[in-house]
Amino acid sequence: LTTRDCGGLTTRQINLLVRELTAAGETDIRLLNPVAQHNLLVALFGNVRVTLDGSAGYFCAGMIDGPTVVIDGNAGWSVAENMMAGRVTVNGNAGSSTGATIRGGTLIVRGNAGARTGIAMKGGTIVVRGDTGYMTGFMMQRGTMIICGDAGEALGDSMYLGRIFVGGKIAELGNDAVIEPLTEDDQTFLADTLDQAEMTNGYDFKKVVAGRRLWNFSKKEMGLWIQAL
Amino acid sequence: MCGLVGFLYKQAPGEGALGEPILSMLDVLGSRGTDGTGVALYGPARPGVRVARVRLAGKDAPRVQVDRIVKSLSPLARLIAVDVQDDYVRVELSSDSDAAALAAAMEGSDPGVLVFSLGERLEIVKQVGPARELRERYGLDHFRGTHGIGHTRLATESRVDVAHCHPFWARPFPDIAVVHNGQLTNYHKMRRRFEMRGVRFYTENDSEFIAIYLAHKLAAGASLEDALEDSLEELDGTFTYLVSTPEGIGLARDAFATKPMVLAETDRWIALASEEVALRRAIAEPFETREPGARTVRVWRRLGVRAPLVPVGAH
Repeated sequence: LTTRDCGGLTTRQINLLVRELTAAGETDIRLLNPVAQHNLLVALFGNVRVTLDGSAGYFCAGMIDGPTVVIDGNAGWSVAENMMAGRVTVNGNAGSSTGATIRGGTLIVRGNAGARTGIAMKGGTIVVRGDTGYMTGFMMQRGTMIICGDAGEALGDSMYLGRIFVGGKIAELGNDAVIEPLTEDDQTFLADTLDQAEMTNGYDFKKVVAGRRLWNFSKKEMGLWIQAL
Repeated sequence: MCGLVGFLYKQAPGEGALGEPILSMLDVLGSRGTDGTGVALYGPARPGVRVARVRLAGKDAPRVQVDRIVKSLSPLARLIAVDVQDDYVRVELSSDSDAAALAAAMEGSDPGVLVFSLGERLEIVKQVGPARELRERYGLDHFRGTHGIGHTRLATESRVDVAHCHPFWARPFPDIAVVHNGQLTNYHKMRRRFEMRGVRFYTENDSEFIAIYLAHKLAAGASLEDALEDSLEELDGTFTYLVSTPEGIGLARDAFATKPMVLAETDRWIALASEEVALRRAIAEPFETREPGARTVRVWRRLGVRAPLVPVGAH
C-alpha cells in the first residue's frame, strides 16, 4: 500500500501521480485530502486499487477501464461516468447523473444517489443502498440498476432495455416504464450482486423494464408520444 | 453554470467571521463563472441605524459623487458614517423615510450612482470579475455577521455589468436578497404581470424578479417556506436559488434539479455551496455533506430568532 497526500496538488498533478505510481507497479494506492476536487482518477486503466480518503468532486473515476476505486466520502455529479470496466464504491452519497452512460463494471453507492442516476447506461451494474432522485434510468439502454431504497419520479423514463430493481417505494414510473415479475435469474443475480457489494438482501424488489411501446412510432399511439415528448 | 454559496451561524446573536468563509467558497467557485462576484452579508443590528451600500459608477471622481449623495440625503436622513472604499460608499444613517425614498434620493444625485442595498443589516457588494477583487478592494474578509449568501456569475440571459451581478436586493423591501443559478422561462410574462400592478424593476435580470417576487409574498404575510413553495409552482424554467432575510437563509430547487447544491450542517453552522469542493476548501473542520433533492424547499433560521419580517416602505 502506498499513501500519498494530495493537499495542495492540482487535479492534473494528482492524476499524473496515480499514473506514475501505477506504471511503477503499485497496485494499492491511498490518496489523502482529495478535498472534493473534480475529475480525479479519470481515464485510469489497469489492475490497480485506488482509495480516496475523503470526498470527490464531479466526474470522479470517469471512463476508467479496469481499476477498483473506493471513495471514502461523497461523490459529486457523474461519478464513474462512461466506465468501461472496473469497480467503483462510494461510501457516502453520490450526486446527480451517478453512473451516467456506463458501459460495464460495477458502481456501488452506500448512501443515496441524486437525480438522473444511470442515465443512458449501456451496460454494467449500479447498486444504490439508499434512495435515487428524479428521472433515474432515463433512456437506459442496457445493464442493471439495483435501488434498495426509494426511487424518485419518472423512473426509467423512455428506457430501451435493461432492468431496474427497486426495494422501496417508486414515486412514479416514467413514460413507457412498466413493472414485470422477477424471474429466477433475476433473484439469483440480486442475491449474488448484493452479496458481492456486502449488502443485505432483505428487500421485496420490484422489477422495472421498458414497455417497448416507444420502440416504433405508430400514428395510432399518437397520445402516448405526445405525453412522452 | 453560476456558483451559489450560503453560510449561517445558528446561535443568536451568533456573529462570527462571515466574509472569510463566504469569499473563500466563492474563490473556488470562480470555475463556475467569473462574469461577476457578489455577496449579501448580514452584520449586527443596531437600533435606529440603517446601512446602505452604494456603487459609484458615475463619471466624476468618487469623492465628488459621495458629496452629491450626502447632499441628497441631508433633507431625509441624519448621516452617522460615510466610508468610501474605492468605487463603493458605505453609508450609515438614521431616518424616518422609507428605503424607496432614500434609495431614490441617492440615485437622483447622479445617473451613475447605484444603490445595491439599504436596510438594517443587509450589505450587498458586487463586482464584475472574480472573488479575489472583492476581497482585496473592499476588505470584506474581515466582515463579521450572522449569515450571508454569495454568487459567482456566468452570464446567460442578461448583460455583463455590475448592476446585473448577483446578489439582488428585493428593492425596496429592506434586508431581503437572492442569488440564483438557472433561467426563468416565464420571466417576461411574470415581470409584466408585476409591472401592471406598478412594481418597478431595476435590471433586465430574471434573478432580480425572484427577489422582488418573494418579497411581495412576505409582505402579504406569507411565511418564507410558503413563499418558496409557491415559487416552485409559479416560476418556470431551471433554478436553484438562495434567499436571505434577517431570519436566515432559504433554499428552493426546481423539479428537474439540474442546478446543483450541496449542504453541510453542524451544531453551530450551516453552509451551502454549488460544489462540495468549495465547502472542503473553505472550512477546515470536519463535516458531512449531502445534496438536497429536486423540489426541495428549506429554511434555516438562526436559533432564538423569532423576529417577524416587517416590510418597511413596501411601496
